[in-house]
Amino acid sequence: MKHRPAWLTAIGVGVTAVMLFPVYWMVNVSLTQTSNMRKSPPNLIPVDGTLDGYTVVLRQQLPYLGTSLLVGLGTVALTLVLAAPAGYSLAKLRPRGGGVVNLLLLVAQMIPAIVMAMGFYAIYIKLGLLDSVWGLILADSTIAVPFGVLIFSAFMSRIPDELLQAARIDGAGSLRTFGSIVLPVSRNGIITVSLFAFLWAWSDFLFANTLDNGGSLQPITLGIYAYIGNNNQQWNAIMATAVVASVPAAVLLVLAQRYVAAGVTAGAVKD
Amino acid sequence: MHAFRKARAVCAALLTVGTVAAAAAGCSSSGGSAASSSSSGGGGTYTFWDPYPQYNNTSDWAKLVESCGTQAGVTIKRTGFDTTALTTQALLAAQQGKAPNILLVDNPVVSTLAKAGALTTTATNGLATGSVATNILGAGVINGSTYGVPIGANTLALYYNPKILSAAGVNPSSITNWASLTAALAKVKAAGKTGITFSGINTEEGSFQFLPWFWGAGASLTNLDSAQAVAALTLWTTWLKDGYAPNSVIGDTQTTAWQEFQTGDVAFAENGTWQKAAAAAMGAKVIQIPGENGGEAPVPTGGEFFTIPVQSDTATYATSAKIVSCLSATANIVKTDNTLNYIAPTKAGQQAQLTADPSLSSWVSAVAVAQARTGNNLGTKYPVISQQMWTAVQKAESGAATPAAALAAAQSAATAALAK
Amino acid sequence: MRSAVRPRGGQPRDEAAAAAPSRGPRRSRRERVIRSTQWTAWGFLAPVVAYLGLFYAYPLYRNIDLSIRSYTVTSFVSGNAPFAGFANYRAIFANPTFAPALLNTAVFVFVSIAFQFAIGLGLAVFFHRNFRLSGLLRALFLVPWLLPLLVSASTWSWMLNSDSGVVNAFLQAVGLSPIDWLTSPTWSLGAVLIANIWIGIPFNLVIMYSGLQGIPPDVFEAASIDGASGWQRFWRITFPLLRPVSAITLLLGFVYTLKVFDIIWIMTRGGPATSSTTLAIWSYQLSFGSLLPDFSSAAAVGNVLIVIAVVFALVYVRARHRLEAL
Repeated sequence: MKHRPAWLTAIGVGVTAVMLFPVYWMVNVSLTQTSNMRKSPPNLIPVDGTLDGYTVVLRQQLPYLGTSLLVGLGTVALTLVLAAPAGYSLAKLRPRGGGVVNLLLLVAQMIPAIVMAMGFYAIYIKLGLLDSVWGLILADSTIAVPFGVLIFSAFMSRIPDELLQAARIDGAGSLRTFGSIVLPVSRNGIITVSLFAFLWAWSDFLFANTLDNGGSLQPITLGIYAYIGNNNQQWNAIMATAVVASVPAAVLLVLAQRYVAAGVTAGAVKD
Repeated sequence: MHAFRKARAVCAALLTVGTVAAAAAGCSSSGGSAASSSSSGGGGTYTFWDPYPQYNNTSDWAKLVESCGTQAGVTIKRTGFDTTALTTQALLAAQQGKAPNILLVDNPVVSTLAKAGALTTTATNGLATGSVATNILGAGVINGSTYGVPIGANTLALYYNPKILSAAGVNPSSITNWASLTAALAKVKAAGKTGITFSGINTEEGSFQFLPWFWGAGASLTNLDSAQAVAALTLWTTWLKDGYAPNSVIGDTQTTAWQEFQTGDVAFAENGTWQKAAAAAMGAKVIQIPGENGGEAPVPTGGEFFTIPVQSDTATYATSAKIVSCLSATANIVKTDNTLNYIAPTKAGQQAQLTADPSLSSWVSAVAVAQARTGNNLGTKYPVISQQMWTAVQKAESGAATPAAALAAAQSAATAALAK
Repeated sequence: MRSAVRPRGGQPRDEAAAAAPSRGPRRSRRERVIRSTQWTAWGFLAPVVAYLGLFYAYPLYRNIDLSIRSYTVTSFVSGNAPFAGFANYRAIFANPTFAPALLNTAVFVFVSIAFQFAIGLGLAVFFHRNFRLSGLLRALFLVPWLLPLLVSASTWSWMLNSDSGVVNAFLQAVGLSPIDWLTSPTWSLGAVLIANIWIGIPFNLVIMYSGLQGIPPDVFEAASIDGASGWQRFWRITFPLLRPVSAITLLLGFVYTLKVFDIIWIMTRGGPATSSTTLAIWSYQLSFGSLLPDFSSAAAVGNVLIVIAVVFALVYVRARHRLEAL
C-alpha cells in the first residue's frame, strides 16, 4: 500500500466541515432559545442555550424512530428484490423492448409525488392498506425501484461477458449465474441502491402524511409535525427532532461504510 | 429545567405534555377534562380530522373530543393533520367517498370544500348556529347556506414592546392612524431599534396580514388597484425602503416575524391572537391596528370551523351534529379557546373568557369588528383574488414593481382568472 | 452480501480490458447469447414491468386525464369534468408565468447539475485515494440526506436570512455588504441553487465513488507504469471507464432536479414575485399552494415536465446504444 499523507486527511476534514456546516447550524438552532432565534448577528454557538427542544423530543419522539427504521429497511429489501434482476436483464440479457422499459422507468420517476400519493390513496382505500406500515413500504419503494433498476443496469453493464459465459460453460443456469456471480460482483451497486432506498424512505414525508397519518405506527417525519401548529411552529423542537432522528441513521451509515471499506480492502471481491 | 423559559416560549405546546409548568406560567390548563373514558358505546366509530397535529392523544383537546364522542354513544378516531395537508386530504377523501364524519378546517377553506360539494349545510345536518356572532360565522356562509360552526376566532393586532417605545419616547396611545404610527417607527429607528415586523410572504398568510391595512385604507377586494389599495401597499413598501421594517418580512411567516419581535429589538409586531400568551410572557402589550385616517382598521377573522362532510350514510349526521354541539358548548369551547389562545365565537363564551381574564377585552373588541375573508359573498372568488394580492405585495416589497403597477397587474390577472 | 464468493474465470487484467469501452468486436458471440436468453431476459424483467404497470400506470393516466379535462374542485370530487383537449396546455403556454418559469427551470437544472456533478466527481476521486478517516468522512457526507427536507431547507433559509442569517454575518465580518438572498428578485434563484447543489452533492459523490471502486486498481497501476500523470490518468482512463455510470448519474440528476420543489417552496415559495418559480413550483402553486386548487392546469404543467424528461431520456438511450455498439 502506498504511503497515506496526512495532508489528504486534513483537506478531507476541512471539506467535510464545510459540507456539514448547515447540519451544525441545525444543531445550533435546536439548542437556541426562541427569543434568540432571530438575533442579529446570530450566535455562532448556542450562548445561553437550552435543552428544552430535546427534553420535549426525547419524551415524545422515540417510538417514531423504530417505525422509520422498519420502513427504511423494508423499502431496501423490496427495492433490491425487484430492481437487481431487472437491472441485470437490461444490462446483460438484452430483452427486446428493453429500451422502452428504460424509458418508462424514467417517465415513472417524473410523475409528481403528490400524484403518486393520490393514486396510492385511491388504491389503498379499496384494499384497506391505509395506515399500515406495509402500505407505506410499498409506496416508498416506488421512489427507489426505478432508480435501482437504472443504477443496477449501469453497474452491471460493466461485468465482462466472459465471466458470464464461463459460468454458462460450467453448466450454471441463469438463476445460479445471477445469484453466485452477478450479485456478488455487483456489490457496489447493491450498496448504492440500498443506501438511497433507505435514505429516501427515511426522509419521506408526503407518502407518510397521505397514507399513514392515522396509523398507530408512524415514521419520524410525521413526528416533526407535532411541533408545527396551525399558527405557530416550535423551531427548536423541530430541529431537535431532526438531530435525534439523524443520529441512529448516521451511526448506521458509518457502520455500513466501514463494513464496505473492510470488504474492499480485504480484496474478497473484485469487480 | 428552565420551567419559566419553557413556558414563555412554547406555552401552548406544552399543554400537550401536560406539565405543571405550563399552568404555572399562566397558560390556562385545566386539570383534565370531564373525559370518563368508557368502552365504545356500540354506536360505531366516527372519524374526526383536525389541523392540530401538535395535540397528541393525551392532550386536553384529544380527551375532550373523546368524551364528546362517548356522550353521543360512539367512539371517535381523531387524526391531526398539518393545516395545508388537511385541505388536500379532505378533497381526496371526499373524492373516494371516504370523508371523515367531522372535519375541522381553517375558515377560508370552508368555501372551497363547500363548492366541491364535500360539506353538508347546517339545514341538512341540523347544527344550531344561533348564538354565534354573525361576523365570525360569515366565513361559513356561502350563498345563504351555512356550512359549519366556528371553534373560535382569532385576528390580528399590533403588539408592541413597551421598553423600546419608552426609550424612543413614543406614547402608544398617540398611535391613532398611519401617520402617527409611521412617526413612531421613525423615532424607534432613530433610537437604534427596528420598527415593525409583519409577514409579507407570498402565501395566504401574507394576504391575511396585509388585509388590515388594505381594508383600513377603505379598499375593497373586488377592486385591487383602487387608490386606497395603492395607499396601503405604499405604506408597507415605504416602511421597507425607509428601514422601519426589516427586509426579511418579504419571506417571513407569522412565526418567523414573531421570532424577530421576540429578540427584543423590534418595537411593533403585527401578529395574531394566538401569540397573546407568549406576548404576556415577554411583557409585550397590544393595541388595535389603526385605519389610515384613524379609528380601528377592520381585521380579518382567522380560526377553524367544525364541518360535517357529506356521507353515504346520511343517518350519521345527527350523531355528528351532537358531537359538534358538545364540542362547541360554552364550557367546552371556552376551555378549548383558552388552550388555542382564541376568542370564543359566542357572546356567552366571550363573557366567560373576560370574567376569567379581563385583559382579553381588547381582543374581544378586535374580534367584534373582524371580517371574514370569504365574506361579502366572495366565497371561492376570495382565493383567486388573494393569490393576486399577495403576488402584488411581493412584487412591490421586493422592488420588482411599483405598488400601483403591481396592483394593476393583480387586478387584471384576477379578473381574467375569475372570468374563466 | 456474499463477499466470500470469488468470481470464476477471467484474470483481473482481462476484466479490466473488457470493461473498457474500447475493447474489440465480440458481436457474433453476443448475438448467440441474445437469441438464447430472450425468455430468461424477460423472466428477470417481468416483476419490475408488472410493478410499473400496477403502481405507476394509474397515477400517470390520472395526471393525463386531469390535464385534458377541465377540473374544478367540484368535478374533482364528483369526477365528471368536461373534456377540454389541449385547452389547458394552451392556457399554460399563454400564461405570463410560463416564460419565466421555463427559464428559471433551465437555469436551475443546468447550474445545479453542473456543480453537483463536478463537485461530486471531484470528491469521489479525492476520497478514492483512501487516506486515513476517508471512510468516516465519506459517510458523514451523507448526513444531509438523513434530514427531512423540511428541516434542511429551513436551515438554509435560516442561514441566508437577510438580517439574522449567519451567511450575511460572515459577509459583513470580511467587509462585504450583506445580500438579500431570499428576498431580492436578483438573488433568490441563486439562493435556492446553493441549497440544492448542497443537497445534491452526496448523491453524485456516492454513485461516482461506487463507480470508481468498480474500476480494478490494476488499470491505474498499469497506467502509472506507462508514466501517465495524474491528470492524464483521470482523463484517459478513469473518466472513460466511468462513462456509463456518469451518464446515468447525470440523467437521474436531471430528472430529479427537474421535479425539485420542496426546497424552493420552503425557502422562497417561488418568490419574490416569480423570480425563483420553476415549472415544478408553478405546478404545485396551482394545485396545493392555493386555497382553490386548479388541478387541471397543475397536471398540464406536470406533463410538460414529463415530456422534457422523456426528450432527455431518449438522448440518453441513444447515447447508450452508441456506447454499447463500440
